[in-house]
Amino acid sequence: MEVKVKILRFNPEADKRPHYQTFCVDAEPTDRVLDLLEKIKGYQDGSLAFRRSCAHGICGSDAMRINGMNRLACKTLVKDLGRGTIVVEPLLGLPLIKDLIVDMDPFFEHYESVMPYLVNDEPPPLKERLQSPEERARFDDTTKCILCAACTTACPSFWSNGRYVGPAAIVNAHRFIFDSRDRAAAERLRILSNQFGVYRCHTIFNCTLACPREIQITKAIGEVKKAIATGSLE
Amino acid sequence: MASKFQSWWQGVRYRGGGPMITWMLHRIGGLAMVVFVGMHVFASFLTQQFGSGLGTTLNLIYQSPYFQAPLYFFVIFHALNGLRIILLDTFPKLLEYQRELIWLQWIVFIPIYGLAVFFILAQIVSGE
Repeated sequence: MEVKVKILRFNPEADKRPHYQTFCVDAEPTDRVLDLLEKIKGYQDGSLAFRRSCAHGICGSDAMRINGMNRLACKTLVKDLGRGTIVVEPLLGLPLIKDLIVDMDPFFEHYESVMPYLVNDEPPPLKERLQSPEERARFDDTTKCILCAACTTACPSFWSNGRYVGPAAIVNAHRFIFDSRDRAAAERLRILSNQFGVYRCHTIFNCTLACPREIQITKAIGEVKKAIATGSLE
Repeated sequence: MASKFQSWWQGVRYRGGGPMITWMLHRIGGLAMVVFVGMHVFASFLTQQFGSGLGTTLNLIYQSPYFQAPLYFFVIFHALNGLRIILLDTFPKLLEYQRELIWLQWIVFIPIYGLAVFFILAQIVSGE
């Protein structure tokens, strides 16, 4: 079958504004959008720029807007996109570098701001810091984040103010706030309670719908909001 | 150098589905209330201070059914959506059922708005 792929192109050295370019590609229904982009780059236009790495939904490099919604190109099949033209655009809310590549620095700055690592100055036991299955299950969902930025760049609050830490940073803060081995929950909650923290979330749910790992992001944000309001991690 | 590409229209075109539509209606509802209250205060000021005809005209506009029907839509929707958000923020476990809650919100909204429309139509028919 022949598929039309309409891509938002932007070359900072030649273009003043982004513009759409349509390519016709031979594809199987079981091909992924990433396969189409590879075919276009390999056989039609080598100047097309996009990120990809593992191509198996783990590295999170190829998040982009596909038919108007953030998805991973390597996890999106042609047959799931209907019969019409497939529209591929870069993520919103981050500076555009070229074609489908955006500058991820602001995203990772927000991620780093919430201390996304275990903090525990207590002397470690001889073997390991033990944790019960129930304590581990408390934050299991938020361990699945692959930092693809699909959630943060689907959030209207982030579009309107890039200083908002965004859903991905809150998800990764949640992963440690509710970890029984961590000792810096209070510090993270203090960081997230500022004017660009969790209260910028207006429960819009775009993040949850965009997450390729199906993390209940809005629920995680809700739990952090409640922990800030009540001062309790229960 | 990185070029920032972002526009209002691109955001509106994002396919967030039902939850994003409720958020947009909520925002429009907030603006609708600001416009209504602003018109009301401005019209009262003009009428009381200057006996201005413009104030009377503004009164006629916001009292007309064509203004009131959409206004009631947005105000009632804004109120119910706000209650849904308060519920979700208070009980994060309910966030797993957010789609069902949106349906529940519409189920509550339709009869309440229907009643408002009924009274607006009754007003038109009675010619008051």
